[in-house]
Amino acid sequence: MSLRRQIATLIRFELRDELRGGEVALVVLPFAVIALLTIPMAVGIDTPLLERIGPGIYWSIVMLFGVLVTQRHSSLAPAAARDMLRLSGVDPAARFAATTLATFILLLGFEVGAGLATVLLYNPSLSSWWWLAALLPLTAAGLAMIGTIGGNLVSGLQTRTSLAPLIVVPIAVPLLLGAAQATEGLRLGAGILRWVLLLAVVDTVLALAGVLTARPLEESAA
Amino acid sequence: MSARPLDLAAIGTLVTAFVAGLVVPPDAVQGDLQRIMYVHVPSAWLAYLSFTVTLVASVAYLRVRSLRWDRLAGASAEVGVVFTGLALVTGMIWGKPVWGVWWTWDARLVLTAVMFFVYLGYLALRRSFEDPEVRAHRSAVLGVVAALQIPIVHFSVTWWRGLHQPPTVLRPDNPQIDAPLLFALLMAVTAFTVVFVALVSRRAELTAAEDAARHPDDTDATAGSAITAPIVGGRTT
Repeated sequence: MSLRRQIATLIRFELRDELRGGEVALVVLPFAVIALLTIPMAVGIDTPLLERIGPGIYWSIVMLFGVLVTQRHSSLAPAAARDMLRLSGVDPAARFAATTLATFILLLGFEVGAGLATVLLYNPSLSSWWWLAALLPLTAAGLAMIGTIGGNLVSGLQTRTSLAPLIVVPIAVPLLLGAAQATEGLRLGAGILRWVLLLAVVDTVLALAGVLTARPLEESAA
Repeated sequence: MSARPLDLAAIGTLVTAFVAGLVVPPDAVQGDLQRIMYVHVPSAWLAYLSFTVTLVASVAYLRVRSLRWDRLAGASAEVGVVFTGLALVTGMIWGKPVWGVWWTWDARLVLTAVMFFVYLGYLALRRSFEDPEVRAHRSAVLGVVAALQIPIVHFSVTWWRGLHQPPTVLRPDNPQIDAPLLFALLMAVTAFTVVFVALVSRRAELTAAEDAARHPDDTDATAGSAITAPIVGGRTT
């Protein structure tokens, strides 16, 4: 089986698992919307202030709750399934790519859902909404890669639910800064190309790191 | 555990740097307050150095799979986290009278704090594994990925233009610091670096001893080394 088919098959498995469980759509996304709803109750109902800070809050929510998406149950292959894949000769890089791409698709859906809630609740104004077509996928891709690497690092540990966010969130901070600064630039009508490039560079480096370290991580799971 | 030449050198240079930091004249603007620089700057330097050593040792482990590199990576990260914490605390103490606040949302401060937590996570990951091989594999991967932060932290002053003072010594044109103060600062940097080497060396030895105590059967023997030639009539054949 070619690498491409391996990846496509594994993505289908993961997305089908997620479709059955509905963890992202029915648990994580509603939880994120609750967070978006409660923040104005804490900071006060100052409409101009909320319009101004809405995009920043959105990206914070995406980063923090996005970690839950990356560590969802369907991204965790049971030990027996991992062994079977290894014995079947599935390339570790293919497994990394498949989990990352499945997570990317789910994160993108999560970003769109949380984004709609932000627009409804905070009414932010951006000079150009088209740039979001680049910002959302770039951020989702970076977070998906960090989350997949983090998930592999803590797989099999009893403390994985607390350890994974501690590892993933600080490493994802450049993504948050890039995305938030770009959105702030859009709000003020300033150029954002360098922030988009920053996100692209971080994504490229993470992709290289993920593919190159997939095999050592696979060996440590044996 | 007896003192080695490296330990003695660390103590000697540290005492010398301490004296140098006290005897040089105070800063013209900040007065004696500026002397905290002799702890803050070397601590920040060691943060960068230690995490770079962790990166190099992690890459080396992934290439040669020797636990020595893993122990070096872990020891360097541990010492680095201590010095990063020291840089943050001394920065806050320095920042209060200069900026008027303990903490400000300057990019370099925030990202140094982030770096602190990245390597705190690295250390937490290391502590989660009993098996040295599994620990080494996984922490080496994180050691490489975490290093992505270092250049971003380093260049953040330029990227985000915060409150933090721009580089004073490492300027392309010329250092913006008087010679006696520069001398004391370089003494402190040297002393802290020697202390770093001594601490990392001791910590790596301790990790090796911990691994040996937890897994007394683990040796560096290769497959088949337990097989010996048959003994016939008191002699090996």
